[in-house]
Amino acid sequence: MKTFARLLGVGALALATLAWMPPAAAQQENMIDTIKSRGKLQVGFASFVPWAMRDKQGQWVGFEIDVSTKLAKDLGVQLELIPTAWDGIIPSLIAKKFDVIIGGMSITPARQEQIDFTTPYSNSGQGVVASTVLASKLKWPDDYNNANITLSCRRGVSGCKTLEEKFPKANLRQFDDDAIAFQEVINGKAHLVISSEPKPTFMMLKNPDKLFKPTPDTVTVSVEGFGLRKGNAVAMTTFNEWIAKNKDWLKQRHTYWFKTQEWAAQVPE
Amino acid sequence: MHDQAASSVSTRPAPRRRRAHWSWIDLVLLFGGAGLLAYLAWQTNTAFAYHWDWSTIWPFIVRYDAASGRWVSNLLVDGLLTTLRLAFWGILLAGIIGTLMGLCRTSQRLFLRMVGTSYVMLIRNIPPVVFVFVFVYFIASQIMPTLAIGDSVAQWSSSAQFWIGILFGTPRLIDNFVLGLICLSVFSGAYVTEIVRAGIESVPRAQIEAGKSLGLSRADVTRFVVLPQAFRNVVPPMAGQFIQLIKDSSLVSLVSIQELTFMAQDVQVSTQRVFEVFVFIAVVYFVICFGLSRVFAALERRYAQAHH
Repeated sequence: MKTFARLLGVGALALATLAWMPPAAAQQENMIDTIKSRGKLQVGFASFVPWAMRDKQGQWVGFEIDVSTKLAKDLGVQLELIPTAWDGIIPSLIAKKFDVIIGGMSITPARQEQIDFTTPYSNSGQGVVASTVLASKLKWPDDYNNANITLSCRRGVSGCKTLEEKFPKANLRQFDDDAIAFQEVINGKAHLVISSEPKPTFMMLKNPDKLFKPTPDTVTVSVEGFGLRKGNAVAMTTFNEWIAKNKDWLKQRHTYWFKTQEWAAQVPE
Repeated sequence: MHDQAASSVSTRPAPRRRRAHWSWIDLVLLFGGAGLLAYLAWQTNTAFAYHWDWSTIWPFIVRYDAASGRWVSNLLVDGLLTTLRLAFWGILLAGIIGTLMGLCRTSQRLFLRMVGTSYVMLIRNIPPVVFVFVFVYFIASQIMPTLAIGDSVAQWSSSAQFWIGILFGTPRLIDNFVLGLICLSVFSGAYVTEIVRAGIESVPRAQIEAGKSLGLSRADVTRFVVLPQAFRNVVPPMAGQFIQLIKDSSLVSLVSIQELTFMAQDVQVSTQRVFEVFVFIAVVYFVICFGLSRVFAALERRYAQAHH
């Protein structure tokens, strides 16, 4: 359904682009001027823990919210958050429903055909945790490539493919639900589980006696950038400069949201 | 189907009281069904291995605001209100569009018939999800910024804004709301058009001729003879279509209209309680739609009585 809807979104977008495409290079919009005269920075994003989520009061919190808030403040304008369904987020950007996507969007070649990305302001990837009972003596990564090792993942995520490629000899068990994939390892029925960070880290912090990290690194890495409509050279420069200037701050906020659970009391669960 | 329902109205005998009568087959079916449900419930609780936890979603319905010391609505209620507003205005607007287009569809003028037919054919032959995407990104996005409803509302007096808030939701989100509303009404209006057409065509030719021979103008025949009978005849399919409209309003969550389904998805992501949230909104939609179907049933009875 999601994929279908996304395809539709892309289809609609393609149609819209065909119909309304002005000569691409001719239309340079100076978005920063627009933002300043409007007095508001409009940011599109979708909810995803811990990028952007609702706290107990129903307010938005998360890494992206911190980033957007500071960006708006530094530009000297107000922030308008525009929560958008992920499937339609790129068409919405192109339809000018907001100025910029700050939504943990990984930079991929397919997306770059439609929109521009700033330099990366964050990185994420797939992480692994292993069962303390079964795997505490195993050496990462060589010992895991063995016929009597059981690996666990959620069906259809890129992590499954990563495990298959990295450990061709091991047994791979695929589950429909992330929670169940982790439960197998917590119950000591599988040695290792892969999932999108920071979930593995959080699960380890929640079950410190059952789970540990065989490697602190992510197994695969992706980087995220702000998404902009094509042909926004001024805004691109402004945002890139902002990202470079706030490198340490971004890193610190990223650590807070992705490596700690200090914020856990704010959100329901 | 409508035609059948419609033509039977005028000749329908007074409904007979049905006796409650149980055969043993009914009992077997009843117990069999109950057994199956119990088995499913048991399966869900054991094999499914999902820990139901409803406590996290209640705060998203209402929450205690410590700052003002009052209970205030939270996301799910806000979403529900938007859905109800969409439903109310959507039914009104789809009803108007449908009536006008229905009249076009049955008009004697070729041009009007073509307008009506094109509208119905265009919408009825596109899947709802596709229509929503195409309409929003393709058509409405070009028109809405020109209208700039939100900007003009922002300049109105505070009491006007208060009423706008009651009727259409937060003024800040009004562009978003209107977009969803138009999308839903235009889409639903096509089906209403067909129902109205069926209703108009169900009015016997003799009625129109009788009206004309009384010296009524064509407009008056439509107004006083055709439409009242047509509307009465189409109450049952119209009820179905309006209930469909409320359910279809969940589709506009795809284009980020912040109604019940959209808010529910936010809550799901934030709380990780996927199934509880789905069950909750299923119950809410059921209550709204079931309530509306009772209203229409009452309306239908009243019309039937008035006719006899």
